[in-house]
Amino acid sequence: MSSAWNWPLAALLAVAGFFAPVLLGGSPAIYAALVLIAIFAVMSYGLDSIVSDLGEVSLAHTVFFAVGAYVTALLSVRLGLDPVGTLVGTIIAALIAAGVLGLITLRLREFVFSLVTYAVAVVALTVAANWSFIGGSDGLRGIPAFEIGWLGIRAAGDVELWPIAFVLLLATLYVMRSFRRSRLGQAAIMVHLNPRLATMSGIDPQRTRLQVFLFSAPITASAGWLYAYQRAYVSADLLETYFLILMLTAVVIIGRRLLLGPLIGVALILAQEKFWSFGGYVDRIILGSLLILVLAYLPGGLFGLVQALAEARHRVRARAGDTSSQTRPRKADA
Amino acid sequence: MSAILETHDLVVAYGGNQALAVPHLAVARGELVGVVGANGAGKSTLVNSLLGWSRGRPRITGKVILEGQDISLLPSFARVRKGLLLIPEGKLIFGTMSVAENLASASIGAVPDGRKAYSVEEIYDLFPRLKERRGHLGSQLSGGERQMLGIARALRLGPSALLLDEPSIGLAPRLVATVLQTVRQLADDGLAVLLVEQNVSAAIEVVDRLVLLERGSVIAEGPAATMRDDPRIAEAYLGAHAA
Amino acid sequence: MNLTQQLINGLVLGHAYALIAIGWTVLLGVARLVNFGHGQMYMLGAFMTWFSVSRLGLPYLAAIPVAMMAGVAVGYIMQRVMLRLTLAQDLVSIMIVTLGFGYVLHGAAGLIFGSTGQILETPLSTRDIYWGDLWFTWQDIAIVLVAMAFFAILKYVIDNTGIGRTARMVAEDPPLALLAGIDVKKVYFAVFAFEGAAVALAGALVAPRTPILTSMGFDEVIITFVVVVLGGIGSVTGSYVAGIALGLFTAFFGALVSPAYATAAAFGVLISVLVLRPGGLAAAPGGR
Repeated sequence: MSSAWNWPLAALLAVAGFFAPVLLGGSPAIYAALVLIAIFAVMSYGLDSIVSDLGEVSLAHTVFFAVGAYVTALLSVRLGLDPVGTLVGTIIAALIAAGVLGLITLRLREFVFSLVTYAVAVVALTVAANWSFIGGSDGLRGIPAFEIGWLGIRAAGDVELWPIAFVLLLATLYVMRSFRRSRLGQAAIMVHLNPRLATMSGIDPQRTRLQVFLFSAPITASAGWLYAYQRAYVSADLLETYFLILMLTAVVIIGRRLLLGPLIGVALILAQEKFWSFGGYVDRIILGSLLILVLAYLPGGLFGLVQALAEARHRVRARAGDTSSQTRPRKADA
Repeated sequence: MSAILETHDLVVAYGGNQALAVPHLAVARGELVGVVGANGAGKSTLVNSLLGWSRGRPRITGKVILEGQDISLLPSFARVRKGLLLIPEGKLIFGTMSVAENLASASIGAVPDGRKAYSVEEIYDLFPRLKERRGHLGSQLSGGERQMLGIARALRLGPSALLLDEPSIGLAPRLVATVLQTVRQLADDGLAVLLVEQNVSAAIEVVDRLVLLERGSVIAEGPAATMRDDPRIAEAYLGAHAA
Repeated sequence: MNLTQQLINGLVLGHAYALIAIGWTVLLGVARLVNFGHGQMYMLGAFMTWFSVSRLGLPYLAAIPVAMMAGVAVGYIMQRVMLRLTLAQDLVSIMIVTLGFGYVLHGAAGLIFGSTGQILETPLSTRDIYWGDLWFTWQDIAIVLVAMAFFAILKYVIDNTGIGRTARMVAEDPPLALLAGIDVKKVYFAVFAFEGAAVALAGALVAPRTPILTSMGFDEVIITFVVVVLGGIGSVTGSYVAGIALGLFTAFFGALVSPAYATAAAFGVLISVLVLRPGGLAAAPGGR
C-alpha cells in the first residue's frame, strides 16, 4: 500500500464521514445513531487490538468503558472539571486499571485469562451497583453539557456532539493504524502467532502483552468518557453484557485486522437496533446469533466471505473461458 | 581461542529426574561444534537450556556465559538480545507472513548493541533462493527454504553465537549439504556455532569439533578428524539410523 | 451470628456450588473446553422447571427430567454449531461463541418467560425443619444428598468404566484417541450434553432457594469458575472439595462482612491464588 495514494482517499473518506448525518437526511434520530456508532466504534477498537493483534479475548473491556464514564461523571459532577480535565482523568484511571489487571493476568493465557477478565467484569458490575460513593444502583446523574470554555466549544445534544464524536473516532483510527505499523504492533502479532519464536527473536511476550493492554484500555475508556456526556448520567448498566457482546461482534463480524472493520461492524449492528428493531429480546437473539454464526461458519468474517465469493466467481468465469476455448488445462484453478 | 559461548555445570532436571548434565562446553569465535547422539540423548535439551527454555518447565541450573558475561539468570528473550540465537526445530518462521516480512519483523525485538546484524541484502547474497521467493508466504516455502529463512531471521538479530537444532531434518540429501555448508560459512565469518545434528555423516564433514551425547551426558568429545574413527561415533551413527 | 447455622448454610451452599460447577469440570477435564453460557443454561434449567410445574402442572420430580432434557438439547445444539472450532481446538473462538449462546439464551428466555421474577416452589422447599434454633428446608437436604450421589456416581464412572476410560483418553490426546478407534466427535457431543443436563439439574434443585430471573446466571459462572480453578482444573474430587470450601467461605463472609460482596470476595480469593501460584492450576487431564 503506497501512502501517497492512500492519504487523499483517507481524507475524502473523512470528509464524507463528517457529512454522513447530513447525507443521510440529518434527522435527530440519524445524529443520535451516528454519535453512538462513533462512540461504540471507539470502544470496540480498544478490544480490537487485544483480540485481533494479541490474539487473546479480554472480557474486561466493559470495565474500562465504565471506568471512563464513571471517572468523567465523578470529576465533572463533584469537582466541576471540564471535558479536557475529565479526559485526562479517564486516561490516567484507565491506565491504572489496565496496569493492575495486566499485572494480575500477566502469566495467564487463553481461557484462564478470559475467565479472569470476565470475572472482573461481573465483580465490577456488583461493585458498581452496590457502592454508594459512585451512586450505587441509581448511578450518577447531572453530568453537565460538554463545554470547553477556553476553546469556545459547547455541545449540548447529539447534533452538536457529532463533530466531537467524529474527531474522537478519527483520532482512534489514526492511533490504531499507527499501532499496527509500530514495533509494538508487530511484536504483538509475533507473540500471537508463535510465542516461542517471538521469544527467540528477542521479544518479551509478557511485556508486550502488558503494553498492548495499556495501549488498548484508554481507547475504550475514552469512548466511555464521551458516552457519559452523551447520556448525561452513568449507572451500573454500563457493565452489562450488551456492551461486551457488541464489542466482540463488531470486532469479528467484518474480519480481523481490518482498520475499518469494527467501525462498519458497529454501524451495521446499531443500524439494525435503531431503525429495524424487533424489540429488546429479539435484538439480543439477533446480535448473539450473528456473533455465533460468524465465528462458527465465517472464520474470515464478512470480508472473508466476500473475498471467497469473488474468487469463486473469478474461477467460474475462468473455467467458462477454458471450456469455450479449451486451451488451458484444468489444473490452473487449483 | 577465546570462548564466545561457554557453559559450566549445566544440569536440566524434571522433578527428580536428571535429563542432562554437561560439566563444561565451550565454543570459540569462528568455531563450529557439532552435537550428535541418538534420539533422546538430550541434544535439543542442551541447546534449549542454553537459552533457558525447555518443554515442560524443567529446573535448569549451571552457568551460561556469553562473551564473558554470565547470562544464566536472564530470561530467554533477554539472552536473545545479548546475541545468543537459537534456530529451533520445527516452527521457525511465521507462516502467514511473506519472506520479506519475516526478515523485516525479525529485528523488532533485539537491538544489537555494537554487534553486526546481517542486512537483508547480505542475507539475500547468502541465500539467493530467499531473494527469489521474497514475496511468498512462509507457509508456501519448502522445508529447505524454511530452514534458510529460519537461519536468516536469526542473522538479522546480530548473533554472536548461533544454536541450530537439527537444521537438516526432513530435507533432501542434496539440500542437507547446502544448508550445512552455509552453517560452515557462518562460522568462518566469525560466529560461534553449536550445531545439533542427527545426520552424523553429514555433520562430520563441516564441523571443527564433535560432542557425543548419550542419555544426557557427554561421552566423547574431540576434533572432527579424530572423532571420525571413534567406534562410539559409529555406534551412535548406527543408533540414530536404527531409531 | 449463630456459628452452627452458618456452618449448615455453608455446607448446603457448598454442595449447591459443587453441583452447579460439575458440568464445567467434566467439560474442561475431558474436552478441554469452556462454556461461558453456563450461567444462562443454569437459568434455563430453573425456568424450565418452573414452567413445567406452574404452567404445565407437572409434579416437581417429573419437571426435573424435562429441564435436564432441555439442557441436553441446548448442549447438543451448541456443540453442533461449534464442532469445527472444537476439532480445531480454537479456544478463543469457542469462548466467544459460548458467550454469544449465553446472550441468545438470555434473550430467548426473556421472550418466552418474561422479565419479571418468579418463585420456583417445590414440595420440598416449603417444608421447613427446625432443630433447636437451627433452620433449614427439605430442599437443602435434597441438594446435599443429590450432590453427594451425583459426585460419587460420576467418580465411579470416570475411574472404573469403559466410558470413563474413553473420556480420559480423549482428554489426554484426542488424535491418539482417534487412532485407538474412538469417535472423538461423539465424545465431544456427549460431554456437552452432559454439561447441559448437569447444570439444568443444578438449576432445578438450587434455584428454588431464591427468586428466579431470566437475567440471572452471572454469579453462577463466577462460582463455577472459582470452584473449577481452585479444585484443580478438570478434577472431580477437587471440585467437590472446592465447592464446599467456597460455600463455607461465602456463608461466613456473608454473615460477618456483607452478603452483597460475597461473590466478589470469593473472586478476590481466587485472584490471590492465581497470582501466587499460576503454575498450580494445571491438573492431570482426565477428570479424576
